[in-house]
Amino acid sequence: MADVFKSELTLSENGFLFDHNTGLTYTLNESGQFIFRKIEDGKQANEILELLLDEFNVDENTAHKDLDDFYRQLKETGLID
Amino acid sequence: MGINIGITGLHATDNPAPGIGVIRSLRHPAGWDGEIVGLAYDVMDTGVYDVGLLDHTYMVPYPNQSSDQIFDRLMYIHNQIRLDVIIPTLDSELPLYQKLEQQLKEAGVALFIPSKEISRKASKSYIAEFCAENDIPSPETFVVKEPGEMEKAISEIGFPLMVKGVFYEAYLCHTRSDALKNFEKMKLKWGLPVIIQQVINADEFDVCCVGDRDGNLLGAVPIRKTRITEKGKAWAAITLKNDELYKLSQKILKKLKWAGPCELEILKEQTTGIMHLIEINPRFPAWIYLCTGAEQNLPKLVVDLALGRNSKPLPPAKSGITFVRHATDLVCPIEWLENMTTLGELHY
Repeated sequence: MADVFKSELTLSENGFLFDHNTGLTYTLNESGQFIFRKIEDGKQANEILELLLDEFNVDENTAHKDLDDFYRQLKETGLID
Repeated sequence: MGINIGITGLHATDNPAPGIGVIRSLRHPAGWDGEIVGLAYDVMDTGVYDVGLLDHTYMVPYPNQSSDQIFDRLMYIHNQIRLDVIIPTLDSELPLYQKLEQQLKEAGVALFIPSKEISRKASKSYIAEFCAENDIPSPETFVVKEPGEMEKAISEIGFPLMVKGVFYEAYLCHTRSDALKNFEKMKLKWGLPVIIQQVINADEFDVCCVGDRDGNLLGAVPIRKTRITEKGKAWAAITLKNDELYKLSQKILKKLKWAGPCELEILKEQTTGIMHLIEINPRFPAWIYLCTGAEQNLPKLVVDLALGRNSKPLPPAKSGITFVRHATDLVCPIEWLENMTTLGELHY
């Protein structure tokens, strides 16, 4: 687990994310799961953007927006600083 | 020779008592090597009719009856089915068992409960004082000992506030009339004092703990309630791995030198992250079987402590274990009801 997360998190194969510290659960869609795994692997945002473009059939603006949205939601839920 | 255990708190309807979860924990995973004896207060205590739960049930007088009368009844049971340990599971029983502890010990019946002095410190009326003395954050609290103090409590705490009965129940109040109405209600139902407490915008966590009387925390299972009833009782919850909650629990039990089980109610302020202790319930919670599911069998630990067996801190509980409470119908032959009603005992 990369230190970037403030809590111990477990993501299942179905995209069900459990925060062991708070007991809260979240459901991640396919791209959310992809981004989460890459953050977990210690990748930086710019690297994840490239990987998103390789993996999904999306334009750069959409991928950028998705990535920003995901980071924003992680911050709002207190999972990252 | 197996160990025989007497257990109270067998009624489980909308506000379940912990006894059934305690028994299920003792029987987990492969039965109990001894007799499990239900101590029922009412013929219709629902656990009495749960096939396979108990080996025997005896009616006992309510805890507010004379302690001599209750002791005599316990000795009657003890002479029939030797009772090695009793696990009381209701708040209202604690003063009774504290009074009887020595007599029971002399008769060969062990308990593992906190002393009167310690449980007083942890009671709703004195918990704010305990927190202040030990640098443990807690919501601002006013203990109203006579009706004339209510106005002062309202002006000191401000709205919204909680009006709490000295034993059970709590009401969120937004207005003066609401607060006065609920104060009267709590006063009539549970007597004085009534506790007036500041409302904190926070997430609530509970920790089921067992202390060894020397200040050590031997078991602790933190949870988050994920669904609650109208009365605020959990009907679903999930276990956590939370160092902050563990350390706070450790500190509380150390300062109190708590003996036996308790349930800590803790609020984590959303803006500051500060953890406030709001209550200590001096017994197992009704959701105790969740702890067993999370691989900390706290009722078995309490039996070991009561018997003076060497007990070490348990390995951490597993996080992410969930429970849901599920109501079902139990059926039984008329003879069971007959035996409970006429003889006051039932042998399965």
